[in-house]
Amino acid sequence: MHTSSKLTKEFTKKWVKGLQICCSSKKDMDVLERKKKIKLCADIALASAKNATTSWSIALISEAKKNDENEILVDNLLGPESRFKQQKIIRQMNSCHKRVRSKKILKKSCSISQRMKKMGPPKSNLAAYIAKRLVKKRTQVLQRLVPGGESMDEFSLIKEALDYILSLRVQVDVMRNLANATEVLNQSNSSNVFD
Amino acid sequence: MNPQLPNTLQQQCFYNPNDHMFANHSALVKPDPGMDEYWAGLHAGAFSDDQLGYGYMNPNPVAQPVETDQALFVQGNSSSVSASVSPKKRKGQSLQVVSDKEKKIKGCSEGDSRITHDQNSNSKEASNNTSSKDKSKVSEVQKPDYIHVRARRGQATDSHSLAERVRREKISERMKYLQDLVPGCNKITGKAGMLDEIINYVQSLQKQVEFLSMKLATVNPELDFNIDNVFAKEIFQCSTSEFPALGCSSTNSAYFQLNSMDQGGISYCGLDMGINAAEMGLRRSISAPISIPDQTFMDSSCYNQMQPSGVWDGDIQNLYRMEFELETLIPFQSHQFTGSNEGINMKTET
Repeated sequence: MHTSSKLTKEFTKKWVKGLQICCSSKKDMDVLERKKKIKLCADIALASAKNATTSWSIALISEAKKNDENEILVDNLLGPESRFKQQKIIRQMNSCHKRVRSKKILKKSCSISQRMKKMGPPKSNLAAYIAKRLVKKRTQVLQRLVPGGESMDEFSLIKEALDYILSLRVQVDVMRNLANATEVLNQSNSSNVFD
Repeated sequence: MNPQLPNTLQQQCFYNPNDHMFANHSALVKPDPGMDEYWAGLHAGAFSDDQLGYGYMNPNPVAQPVETDQALFVQGNSSSVSASVSPKKRKGQSLQVVSDKEKKIKGCSEGDSRITHDQNSNSKEASNNTSSKDKSKVSEVQKPDYIHVRARRGQATDSHSLAERVRREKISERMKYLQDLVPGCNKITGKAGMLDEIINYVQSLQKQVEFLSMKLATVNPELDFNIDNVFAKEIFQCSTSEFPALGCSSTNSAYFQLNSMDQGGISYCGLDMGINAAEMGLRRSISAPISIPDQTFMDSSCYNQMQPSGVWDGDIQNLYRMEFELETLIPFQSHQFTGSNEGINMKTET
């Protein structure tokens, strides 16, 4: 898809850069550590390729930054000029979190008081009630999956999930291609050695 | 009968254009142009499906609101996605009942005409409902803090239910996009089922990422093969854009050419001046028989054929220490590869 080719390139570039930084810092790593580093680089590259246009990417980066040892990596990947932008955005996001949280509390208290008033016929609308419960549960699960999803209302959650799915697809494609290529290269190298 | 009915029937509430809402909440979430193209493209197709006919005469021509909607699509950067409202309730009411409602609605309209929506402010949607005879008509209003909604015929008109309806419509519209995105979702119509599919898909994608990173970790002993491959990729892209006369472009698909044209901003094409003639000859001979599939711009066969040469992207400075190591490999490998090109081609394309 044409719209994702840009994202693909950005992501690849940043991911490679991050991997180089990673492997230049430590020489000996076991498999699990390497895997973690690779995944971390990929995630941060994906999020920064979005250039702070979506809140899931901001959430991902802020989470990564919380870990001190990742901070250097993150800063290098993002670039110095976007650092200030990121900080500003993170601050705004925090304030947005508070706003959303307080709204949620208000809503809950209102709805509870309303529910107490109209105890009406809950059984007549049982199907609708069950459906609502199901939807609620699933939105909760989705909130947990999408980074930064806890502080979003339902509508923006779906929007973010949409964007997140697209980016994940890009990530998977790039990684798969790289893995295949490396495998093939290894095979050919080993066959060359034996020739 | 009464030509004025449709006008008076409608309550005085309007959708607000998203741009103003955006401005309110600052640069928190900026419209993503890539996504918008996709959505706008999707939506332009979906839009026409929602024109339903009613038996009720409307003096306003149907074509007119459609044009305004589509005009919004044409705007370059505006992230306007219209809410295609599919009427959920169609009530075949007689005109007598309509006249009663008209009076009621008129009475309500003054009181409940404004709705404030702070939580919808992050939405990307513009101000439109689709047009049909008794569907709500939309126009844009400049006031920033309000979302204005038109009530539909036969529906409650207090502010809460209107807000609810707005919200629901937005959500269902998003769900439609997600249906296109998530494979296998065409049959499912309920919200809960859709959410279930979305959750499964996101989980599977995340697991794939985990698995692939594990695979990469095991396949690469030191993460340095990444560099070779990546440079193979870059050089390949570079070479196709730099040496189009080599016959590479004839085998390129249109997609790939589009790709290489997109590279304007990316400085992959900074070829080092240290290219020697042998490397250039090698690259030419290798790049000729390459055929690129339409799907991706990276093909595993490409990597096989491209050799890491001494060409480095000017951006990636800390690789120069690897250059020494690779340059010792190059003469050895290039010698091997020119002979076994076809063999490798066959192997990888099976």
